[in-house]
Amino acid sequence: MDPQTLQTTGLTLKWLLTIAWLLPLLGFVVELIGGGWVWGRYSKNAAYLSVMCIVTGFVCSFIALMTWGNATEWSALKDHGATHGTSHAEPSRHASGVDAHGAPKPAAEAAHGHDDHAKPVAKDAAHPAHDDHAKPAAAVHVAADHAHGTPHHAAPKVVFTGIFYRLAQFGSLDISLSYYIDSLTLVMFTMVTFIASCIHIFAIGYMSEELTDNYADHQVHTSHGHLHRPGRFHRFFSFLSLFCFSMLGLVLAGNIFQVFIFWELVGVCSYFLIGFYTERKSASNAANKAFIMNRVGDFGFLIGLMIVWTWFGNFQFGDLPAHGQTQPGLFSMVRGNDGQMKLHVPESGQAEVVFKNQDNHIQTKPNGEQRTIPYWLLVAAGLGVFGGCIGKSAQFPLQTWLPDAMEGPTPVSALVHSATMVAAGVYLVGRFYPMFTPEVLLVIAYIGAITLFLAATIAVVATDIKKVLAYSTISQLGYMMLGLGLGGWAAGLFHLITHAFFKSLMFLASGSVIYGCHHVQEMPQMGGLRRKMPLTAYTMLVGVIAIAGLAIPYVTLPGGEPIAFSGYHSKDAIVATALTYMNLNGHHLLFFLPLAGAGITAFYMFRLWFYTFAGEPRDKEVYERAHESPWVMVGPLVVLSFFAAFCAFGGEKGLLFKLLLDSEPASVPGGYVAQTEYLSQGLLNLKLPSHEAIHAKHDRAGTLALIMAFVGAGCAYLVYGVRWVNAAEIKQQFSGIHRFLVNKWGFDEFYDMLFVKPTHVVAGWCSAIDRVIFDGFLHASAKAAVKVSDWDRQFDETIVDGAVNTVGNWTFAIGRSLSVVQTGRMRNYVMFIAVGLLGIFALLIMFFPN
Amino acid sequence: MVCDMNFSELLSRVVQDTVGNNPFGDLSGVLSGKQPTFMDGSLLMFLPELIVVGTILALLFVRLLDLDKVISGQSVALLGATVALLVAVVQFLAIKNLDPSTSGVVLPKTMFTGLLVYDAFTVFFKVFLLLFLQLVVYLTQLTGLPDRDDAPDFYTLLFGSTLGMLLMISSNNLLMVFLGIEMTSVPSYAMVGFLKGRRTSSEAAFKYVVYGAGAAGVMLYGISLMAGLLGTASFPEMAARLNLVIGSGPLKLDATLLTLLLSIVMILVGIAFKLSIFPFHFWGPDAFEGAATEVAGFLSVASKGAAFALLIRVLLALVGIDQAPSGVMTPVFFYLGIAISVLAAVTATFGNLAAYSQNNIKRLLAYSTIAHAGYMLMAVGAMMVLLNASKHVPDPAARWELAIRAIEGLLFYLWVYMFMNLGAFAVAALIRNELFSEDITDFGGLWTQAPVLSFTMACCMFSLIGMPPFGGFTGKFMVFSSLFQAGHYHWAMWGVLAVAGINTVFSLFYYVRVLKFMFIAPAKDGARRVRVPAWSAAWFFVLSLAVLVLLTGMWGAAPLSATAHEVAAALFP
Repeated sequence: MDPQTLQTTGLTLKWLLTIAWLLPLLGFVVELIGGGWVWGRYSKNAAYLSVMCIVTGFVCSFIALMTWGNATEWSALKDHGATHGTSHAEPSRHASGVDAHGAPKPAAEAAHGHDDHAKPVAKDAAHPAHDDHAKPAAAVHVAADHAHGTPHHAAPKVVFTGIFYRLAQFGSLDISLSYYIDSLTLVMFTMVTFIASCIHIFAIGYMSEELTDNYADHQVHTSHGHLHRPGRFHRFFSFLSLFCFSMLGLVLAGNIFQVFIFWELVGVCSYFLIGFYTERKSASNAANKAFIMNRVGDFGFLIGLMIVWTWFGNFQFGDLPAHGQTQPGLFSMVRGNDGQMKLHVPESGQAEVVFKNQDNHIQTKPNGEQRTIPYWLLVAAGLGVFGGCIGKSAQFPLQTWLPDAMEGPTPVSALVHSATMVAAGVYLVGRFYPMFTPEVLLVIAYIGAITLFLAATIAVVATDIKKVLAYSTISQLGYMMLGLGLGGWAAGLFHLITHAFFKSLMFLASGSVIYGCHHVQEMPQMGGLRRKMPLTAYTMLVGVIAIAGLAIPYVTLPGGEPIAFSGYHSKDAIVATALTYMNLNGHHLLFFLPLAGAGITAFYMFRLWFYTFAGEPRDKEVYERAHESPWVMVGPLVVLSFFAAFCAFGGEKGLLFKLLLDSEPASVPGGYVAQTEYLSQGLLNLKLPSHEAIHAKHDRAGTLALIMAFVGAGCAYLVYGVRWVNAAEIKQQFSGIHRFLVNKWGFDEFYDMLFVKPTHVVAGWCSAIDRVIFDGFLHASAKAAVKVSDWDRQFDETIVDGAVNTVGNWTFAIGRSLSVVQTGRMRNYVMFIAVGLLGIFALLIMFFPN
Repeated sequence: MVCDMNFSELLSRVVQDTVGNNPFGDLSGVLSGKQPTFMDGSLLMFLPELIVVGTILALLFVRLLDLDKVISGQSVALLGATVALLVAVVQFLAIKNLDPSTSGVVLPKTMFTGLLVYDAFTVFFKVFLLLFLQLVVYLTQLTGLPDRDDAPDFYTLLFGSTLGMLLMISSNNLLMVFLGIEMTSVPSYAMVGFLKGRRTSSEAAFKYVVYGAGAAGVMLYGISLMAGLLGTASFPEMAARLNLVIGSGPLKLDATLLTLLLSIVMILVGIAFKLSIFPFHFWGPDAFEGAATEVAGFLSVASKGAAFALLIRVLLALVGIDQAPSGVMTPVFFYLGIAISVLAAVTATFGNLAAYSQNNIKRLLAYSTIAHAGYMLMAVGAMMVLLNASKHVPDPAARWELAIRAIEGLLFYLWVYMFMNLGAFAVAALIRNELFSEDITDFGGLWTQAPVLSFTMACCMFSLIGMPPFGGFTGKFMVFSSLFQAGHYHWAMWGVLAVAGINTVFSLFYYVRVLKFMFIAPAKDGARRVRVPAWSAAWFFVLSLAVLVLLTGMWGAAPLSATAHEVAAALFP
């Protein structure tokens, strides 16, 4: 791409995404102002406006994606494997063949195709035993070579970054509104706006009950029966718009500080939306809980930010021109352009990471020393930022807020808690990836693995249809974190996108069920609903198959890819990464937990479907009243189900995965590189798998996961589909485990005991101290003050007022007497001239200074 | 005067002095300051006054030739005042833009062989007086004070009085001082008595005449003493002569100095009469009460402004601005400044206290006028103190700068005072036309009937009190800050400042009392209703005055004070 095209493309993308980003804000403002006063409570204008904004945003994002693709001539999608061998030895960055090693290749080719090419990076990663072949000089060369060899090589990785508006500047630190656009940004934008559009449209139907002056909330009981309140249709949509604005701002943000700002905005919006039915105690509690739990995570985020500020003096992700030269961004500082950290161990023994700049040179201070950050601080910063992600993405141990957050209206659950807000945490891990050391990644992986297993087990016993989905969400987020933590950058984010589609689909379908059943959410009251609401049922089934990761065994598409819905591909990629990682490093749990999770996922998801839609109705009354939802709600379901099924079409050779792969940080594809000078394996000697290695394990992992999924789905069919085994009996048999799971592993109680109760006790002491000591003092002093002011009043009334009145009377009297001088008699006046003259003259002489 | 020239030479010199070398130049050249047309030849410099004279003649001819069926006296007066004002403005702009290096003109220039002086100060006051004249003429047309038959007579008197003021402000000679004051006073006497049918009016005019005559006598006596003592009546020479007469020895209170002091006091009494300074204010309330409201408004502002200009000219002539700090009389003038300030404080206090029990709006405003004359006189006293504080500030330029500040404050105050006082009198006159009453207890409920009048009155009253953001606050603040500055050199000035501050509090009472009646008290039963239709001329007139009062306190304050500073600085070339 020549610089001219590059520049115009950058500008186009910037403005398209800016429009997509700001339109919802505009919508929010107009809806907020227009909603209540101008349009009235019966108007759907707010909804139409907000749909218009988000749909326009989607169109802009999509055009942006297309523009980007055309400008790069879709190089991201080209299969570089074909040209792979031709010019391979040439180290030039423009050589088309060099990049091939990063590009995804069919597993079969990957298995055998590389050894004959001198491909040190990939080879070393795959075969650590050959380390001794790599001589230092060659290593540097190859490393540099490798950097240019990231997947897009016709042009190196294309990132557009720049500053919208500089808020403040402190030394080298810029606080600015900036943007960072790569294929991840574009894919996220398109996904978020698309799903948000579907949800907005769905919400027009779902929220239509709010179009009234007198909305009866049956869940709130007052002394006069149910609560009646004015509808809040426009408020709902204005919050939705604000939420979309915040989320898009987070994705577009070009620096970590801006991410934090929008991070908090997202948090506030979710607070508003979860607590939408403010009168319900449970809803407002849930909103508080979500907000507070997130603050716990954000505390870590803030610590991370402080470390970054103190040591890097820079918040920008990408390299930006400043003061006539290029100011390297955080990623370049840590990883240079080859994706490798450079380690420096001074004599004191504390390892330090050396800052590099964008052309891989080492940054020095004015006194010639290297600029460095202690390794442990970089780990701390990474853990801190990940702490924020734990909160936002509801990971263990801060996962408890998400199920409660189902108190919000279902479209909110769909938008906030499946596709976007919780995705923010995963997105940030992906975005901030170059800053994470292997140790941090290990923590991420473990957190993810624990979360996915824990949530999956709870989902098995949940009976509220939305709660099942909520735990499933947590579990899937765990998968994503796990994938990212294991070095499967693209795999984790791939799952993020596919999950967004099928989870929003399922949330909306559950919303449709709830709407159709007149706000019944308990699955034990449902059953057989597919006859009443077929469209909802079968679109839901698409989602269930997708999330369960079912595929048709032994039958493949011409490209060698199995026939399966999106979830299969993405989960497969994660499990494959896990298997490779386990082979390299041990850590067996990191493979077996997700594998087990795959089975459990299939079980609880099919359980949900069979419970709700199959068999005989359990509650006749609910069944009788149930009905299919209107088209405005079912339409989005159909659209989403299409994407849930096919968005990952082609798997790792498909469009979506390759698009994501284009943004993959330079360190990832090569995996672990064994050089002393560089530090891809971290201090714990963790070896991250390369693409090659993962491909090698892909088939095996895929088979295992598929088996697990079929087992899970089969069990569900036996228990809930044909009801071959009585669920109640199993429950009875394992009542201990059941209770444990129903209690959500006791986390709420545990936190209650650990934090809430002690807080209450301490608060009790404080209030006692307050009451007895401080209040006592206050009351005493108040009494004293009253006494004093009594005296003061006496004083005031008699002496001060008396004085004032006297003075006032005097002046008035003087005034009166003065006008008495004004006799009106002529002779007096003329006499006064003479008297005045003489008087003044006499006084003048009398006081004359000597 | 050079004496060794023959008569024809002298005559040609006089003619040249009067007509000038280049009486006709183009206006753009004048405004850019390159062509000194308005600074060349006395007649051109005197052009606004000549237009006023021409208007008087035209008014008389209108009457004589019975033309007032065709063109009313009001229109002639308004036209004359407007043209004179425009010419004065052009003159002011010309002076402001004057570039001495290219035009070769050095200011101040004298007119008519040294009897009058022409400088920025003169022209500034010309604009002030003529603008005020125009506003008053317009106001009298709105209120219909002179009917069609009387109009030429009334405006002749008004213009004649203004002409006298124009002479006062440009006086450069003791003789002109007396002439100017008399020329101002005599038409005013007749104006006060213009409401012929009314006993109070005639009585007021009579008192004014007698009092004025007495004051004029005293002043004339003072002038002759002074002229006799110094051997000159021309301002530029007085200071030098004064030092000569007193001699350079240690200052002692001998016969010469006593005589001199007496003459100074006597001259100041004449001016104090015009300023209605205690104890020479007695004519004021009576004359104001008897006169028509418009006339009272005119007298309260215009004659005060002119008298202050004159006072500054006389005092500066005595102190001498081109004298080195060695002036023997400096301590005397320093002392005189304190005396003036004390007198000002007494005047302000008297005016404010006496206003307490007034119910007649004109009488109340008369006392308010006295009080404000006191405030403004404080600026003059501060100027004298600052100008003669050579013991504390040896550098004459620094003293001048301080004195310039004091004069700047006075000038600013006068402009604000013009707007706020005229506003108050205009509202009073318009209310009188509707209510037939000037008693403030009859003003009840006006707020609902005539909101714009009430609003303007409120603006003017608050400005007169000196509340921000109105112009009155800014003016008062500037005067007070000069007083404070002067207090560094003599403690008595801080005392005066304290009294002035207390006075401001006193004044709150009676000003707000007027507003209380207008805004809070209910209308009296059966009282007439006041109607001033929106967008009528009167409505617009009072509203623009209110806006001006606000403007001088806000955005207008900076440019106005900057101009006033320039003008004041022009007194110290």
